Amino acid sequence: MQPLAGEPLRMHAVYVWDLATRLFHWLLVAMVAVALFTGFVAPEWWMGVHLAAGYAIVLLLVFRLVWGVFGPEYARIASLVRASRWLREYLRDLLLLRPPHYIGHNPAGAVMIFALFSVLTALVVTGLMVQGGEEKQGPLAGVIGYATGNGAKEVHEILVFVLLAMVTGHIAGVIVEGWLQQAPLIRGMITGWMPLPTDVPAPRLRRARPRPAAISLAVFAGVAALVLGLLSRLPPLGIPTMPANQAMQDECGACHWAYHPSLLPRDSWAAIMAGLSDHFGEDASLPAATAGEIAEFYQSYAAEAWDTEAARRFSNLAPGEPLRITATPYWVAKHDEVGDAQFASPAVKNKGNCIACHRDADSGRFDDQAIDIPPPPKTGANP
Amino acid sequence: MTRLAPFLVGAATLLIAGLAAADPARDAILAAFADEAKAADAAFAGFSADRGKAFWTATHSGGKPDTPSCTSCHGPDPTAGGQTRAGKPIDPMAVSKNPKRFTDPAEVAKWFTRNCNGVLGRECTAVEKGDVITYLSSQ
Repeated sequence: MQPLAGEPLRMHAVYVWDLATRLFHWLLVAMVAVALFTGFVAPEWWMGVHLAAGYAIVLLLVFRLVWGVFGPEYARIASLVRASRWLREYLRDLLLLRPPHYIGHNPAGAVMIFALFSVLTALVVTGLMVQGGEEKQGPLAGVIGYATGNGAKEVHEILVFVLLAMVTGHIAGVIVEGWLQQAPLIRGMITGWMPLPTDVPAPRLRRARPRPAAISLAVFAGVAALVLGLLSRLPPLGIPTMPANQAMQDECGACHWAYHPSLLPRDSWAAIMAGLSDHFGEDASLPAATAGEIAEFYQSYAAEAWDTEAARRFSNLAPGEPLRITATPYWVAKHDEVGDAQFASPAVKNKGNCIACHRDADSGRFDDQAIDIPPPPKTGANP
Repeated sequence: MTRLAPFLVGAATLLIAGLAAADPARDAILAAFADEAKAADAAFAGFSADRGKAFWTATHSGGKPDTPSCTSCHGPDPTAGGQTRAGKPIDPMAVSKNPKRFTDPAEVAKWFTRNCNGVLGRECTAVEKGDVITYLSSQ
């Protein structure tokens, strides 16, 4: 392969990283950065961006696997496998601070690529499981229950720290190797070209086979679309079809947002409906027939009937205050960063006004993406 | 005819407004409270908007500490809305602003039961209820 036009002509340089591999590398860096930022730093309602980054990583991984079969020499899985066989010798030489020069990935780098791939694959799989089981979204919503999704979240969170350790190791490796070899490794991953010591002969390179690569990707896309299409037809697990109840909307909704029945277990609703004459410090008594109808509705669709995040989490009641949703440990922890001024703002007014910020509260879903906190009131506007 | 037109329009407007204020359902509710008041006290001589206003705006004792007055939730101006303790808006109580007020006996019974208990810690008398409806119907 010839140096590209505009590429600084080097004596004895070799085109190691082809354009597709370089693009893959930097897009993966960008998508992992987005996923880390939206996972750790960004507020909950950026969940959609986190999911998009996850899906992008799936596409990148699939592309890289295909390119690992049909790509040019140093992109191939076979060349990584070959390099990784020299790991022991490489590490020994590295300890003696005289690692030999490798074209493409050195043995430690090759092993790291396999490890990164495995961890990233496990991350997107567990991510899809969390999305399906906990959030009732995505292709696995109809297959995975809340408990499994919750377990997957634990694994997802541990794997992130494994990934962070590996990314650190990868970057440290590039810095150490670049220093030991006096080789411009990062520039190499940008331009594709790496200088070769004059005593190392330029290798014969196998070329990429774009056509079978494209066919493989097309077949994969078709199969994936079919599987995802079939899976997404399944109704989400643990979301019953709840009819509208006019009495509940009218009577509960007269004073406050009509709480979704999934937000408390049956015993709590029974106690609330039995104590309407002293309803959180208010007389909310109802004619027996109306109260009976509403009580029955809440019994039928209480938390026990749902497998949603809100139903499962709020079933863990506050000790001593089993009737107050906003006292449950999960509620308190989740609203930790929302200030009192925000709750008191004219658009919210009350901690129990879930629908002021959770646009989908009436469905009981409470999706992260549906959170929309109204702007806080301007203070000091009136002198 | 053309000189009479403004008067005719004015008369029709007054008539419609009068009809809207004097809802037969509301009259029936008031009449029932009047019967109850007469049964309790033979000297009962009709409801009073002034007494109703005084009762509506007074600070009572005996009820829940957060709600000593009707105006605690309904607000000082009956033609404007109020707000429940949970923060939900309450439509105006003045019949001129909200002609559906005091036309459903079940709603009237429900809210007097709840709110008299909350504000006064007791049931309201038929005179108190009739006075309040008379006051808010005049607003």
